[in-house]
Amino acid sequence: MTIRLKINGENFDYHGDSRASLLEVLRETFRLTGSKSVCCEGFCGACIVHINGELVASCLKPVGVLEGMEITTIEGVGSIEKLNPIQQALEDHDVVQCGMCFPGMVMTFTSFFKSNPNPTRDDVKAAMSGNICRCTGYERIVDALLSIQMKGEVT
Amino acid sequence: MAKHVDPNDAVMNLPRRDARDKLLGRTKYTIDEGGSGDLHAVLLRAEVPSAKVKKIDLSVARVMPGVKAIATYDDAPGLHGLGIADTPIFVKDVIRYHGEPIAAVAATTLAQAREAAKAIGVVLEEQGAVLTMSEAFADDAALIHPDWADYEIIFEGAERQGNIAWEATVVRGDTDEAFSRSDVTIVEGCYSVGRQSHVSYEPRVALASYVDGRFHIQTSTQVPWTVRHVVAKVLGVPDSHVRVTVPAVGGGFGLKFDCSLEPYAAVLARMTGRSVSIANTRQEEQMTCLCRENAEIRIRSAVTADGEIAGREATVLMDAGAYGGEQVFLSTMTAHTLGGNYKLGSIKLSSLVVYTNTPPNGAFRACNGVYNTFALEQHTDEICKVLGMDPVEFRRKTVLGKGDIGATGQIFEGDVLKPMLDTATKNYGAHENKALPDGRLYGRSTTVGTWFIYVGSSSATINLNSDGSATLVTSGVEIGQGTMVQALPQIVATNLGIHPDDVIVKTADTDASGRDLGVGGGRTTVSVGAASEAACAEVRKKLVATASQLLQTKPDNLFLSKGRVEIKGKPGSGMTIQAVAAQAEADFGPVSGSGSFTNPGILAKPGCSAGHFIDAIDMPVHAVHDCELAVDPETGHVEILSYRVIQDVGRALNPRAIHGQIQGGVVQGLGYALQEEITINKNGAFDQQGFETYRIPTALDVLPVEFVLHEGAPSCGPLGVKGAGEIPILNVGAAVACAVANATGQPVHQLPLTPPRVLQVLEGKDEILNFPHISHVWKDNTIRFG
Repeated sequence: MTIRLKINGENFDYHGDSRASLLEVLRETFRLTGSKSVCCEGFCGACIVHINGELVASCLKPVGVLEGMEITTIEGVGSIEKLNPIQQALEDHDVVQCGMCFPGMVMTFTSFFKSNPNPTRDDVKAAMSGNICRCTGYERIVDALLSIQMKGEVT
Repeated sequence: MAKHVDPNDAVMNLPRRDARDKLLGRTKYTIDEGGSGDLHAVLLRAEVPSAKVKKIDLSVARVMPGVKAIATYDDAPGLHGLGIADTPIFVKDVIRYHGEPIAAVAATTLAQAREAAKAIGVVLEEQGAVLTMSEAFADDAALIHPDWADYEIIFEGAERQGNIAWEATVVRGDTDEAFSRSDVTIVEGCYSVGRQSHVSYEPRVALASYVDGRFHIQTSTQVPWTVRHVVAKVLGVPDSHVRVTVPAVGGGFGLKFDCSLEPYAAVLARMTGRSVSIANTRQEEQMTCLCRENAEIRIRSAVTADGEIAGREATVLMDAGAYGGEQVFLSTMTAHTLGGNYKLGSIKLSSLVVYTNTPPNGAFRACNGVYNTFALEQHTDEICKVLGMDPVEFRRKTVLGKGDIGATGQIFEGDVLKPMLDTATKNYGAHENKALPDGRLYGRSTTVGTWFIYVGSSSATINLNSDGSATLVTSGVEIGQGTMVQALPQIVATNLGIHPDDVIVKTADTDASGRDLGVGGGRTTVSVGAASEAACAEVRKKLVATASQLLQTKPDNLFLSKGRVEIKGKPGSGMTIQAVAAQAEADFGPVSGSGSFTNPGILAKPGCSAGHFIDAIDMPVHAVHDCELAVDPETGHVEILSYRVIQDVGRALNPRAIHGQIQGGVVQGLGYALQEEITINKNGAFDQQGFETYRIPTALDVLPVEFVLHEGAPSCGPLGVKGAGEIPILNVGAAVACAVANATGQPVHQLPLTPPRVLQVLEGKDEILNFPHISHVWKDNTIRFG
């Protein structure tokens, strides 16, 4: 059985086990390693992607149910030449450390700011509760994200 | 410090150069490597804590689909360790912990390797397991290493016996005399802490190949030279036959301060002739985490009415798990953590590293210091309560300062902790009792802490490029701490008069860079930085010699700035470094420099300590943490209301990056203090196997940490720096415990302070620990003096 996926605007055919998680397929089959495999339980958020615009922990999604769906991974967000506003704020505030949780953070907040253009600090922290970070202690990431609101870059 | 350099030129908030790729998901960590040509390996791990192995049958597994090789003890029989070589990489005939590797399977796919591992037949005879330190101390306790006396000793001088893997002791002065004085009060307490798991996001992982008769290992490690040595030792090949390279590491926190999966990948690569990748699943990662060790502590102090500590005696039991590991080394640290902070008339300390049938423990940010600081600071507050003294005033009077003598007799330079306490009071005010309007109990603490940077040896090479840029070659590794992308380029750039963006930093490759102790303990900026500064001095000397000829002036008249060699007092009169380097290359060949560094060797009082890897601390680092919190008497929930850090940084090269370390380190400490808990079940396994049950802080559990960077304390580091990444976690357990004790009016003896435990504290029902296996008579807790 072939499963057709549209990943970052490009068509991919997957021929393997349909029970494999989307995360495994992204990383192992298509070598898109930006989505990180960390807890594999849906808690850490490092593997978050957008499926038809919705935030999904890709470790929990069997690829077999995704026929025809549009998937955006971190590789589809921003470019070396131009980061998206979330990435840019995180770079500008120098908040990255080991970096493993940041692909998921970027995916969560790229989606979040579309529906919450003017969040409070508490809103941002609540939205971050599904993206766990072991290095940074979060608050400087929150500061960086709130600067986007102040600059009014994402609407 | 280089006299030609103004250290202030190095101070800047240089951004990380690796952030963009990390934010784009482009960074390739070791876990992201491994191509389709590689074999995949898995480990068969023991599922019991203690057993004799009667038979390992590989016959079925060997012929399963895709299987290319299976390695067991006979393929890598060497033993390794820090002070004692007690650790095999595979079970030989005894299983000593749940999760211990029995065999490693390499197959074409991961699924095939897993199937084959399941098909390995292991015949066991289970034995009673020794799961706690008190069981290990029982008179009839089974010996976890019956052959302990026959192991190779790598570091001489420690007492060892049976289930005590290592003993480190300090004796300075006569505590018996102090405790028998008529003018002292004796205060005594017992403290207990559990394990803490690092939960670094990239698991332990390695990729090995066998090329031209040598092993090449790419790995996620903090210690490339340790990996090189341990792989060679267990495989029985010369160290020079192993090359280790390290790309970006997805978090370490000390977990990767030991060799881990690398030997398995290496042995399978040699057996198959193919490259082999191996990675822990998250469950394996948690279940075999080389945790911050659980510990049990008894402290007794003899104090006078005016707050002089005439004598102190303490015993610390550190659970090594099944093998000695890092704890053998970390036992040294008790002298400077539990024995630190305060002026002591006399002191006796013993740190015992205890074998149990549990997964081995390891290094974790501010190892040993975190729990000893908790115990010491709670004990100090209990002393203050008994004496009726203000805890901040007591500390101000009693902390070590200039000319004071530390536990092992070293003489401290400079007053550091006292002015930091003054800053705390000035900024945050004196302690006062507050009633919170919602009925919760308010508590505050001010705690002090002493860490030491084990500086050790490092080396560096700098190649000056024809475009005026410089390439720095060291064994440093970027684990997220920022040293490789911020501190080192800043130090080199300042010394060479170029911009940090023009400093290329090569990450560790043991075939290219010199020996190094590794990234840990806050030492990289200090030691690799100092070696880099020495390498810069050689480059600078060559440049100035050539420029002196070209510009017809004395070398002393020249300085390096903004990419140019300039004549003092005549701005713009010099020439570009690029042009000078071109002339130097024409005359002598390309310009390069090499440098090295090791600890200056601060003296201790001879004969004070035994079983210690170092006797004095080359670089003390101090912290003052001030915490306000609210305890909900109904639920036992603790909310941190404010958290404030005053940190001794020497010189803050990159204040923004240090802020990142403080916020992150304090939050890791809050996890340790309040919610992260590992329990070991009767099968010798951790109950917490993943994120659902091992609860690290989320964004909703934290608050912004306020901080003051205390600059100017004496430092042997380059440009006056001290390591800043290790110490933010040091006092957090202490600060939270002392504030909870303050809020509840009850002493705190255990961490973490989960809501059920806080309720016990509130009800006065928290078990008053009185470890029967740790005697009140100090010498009875030692081998050397007992």
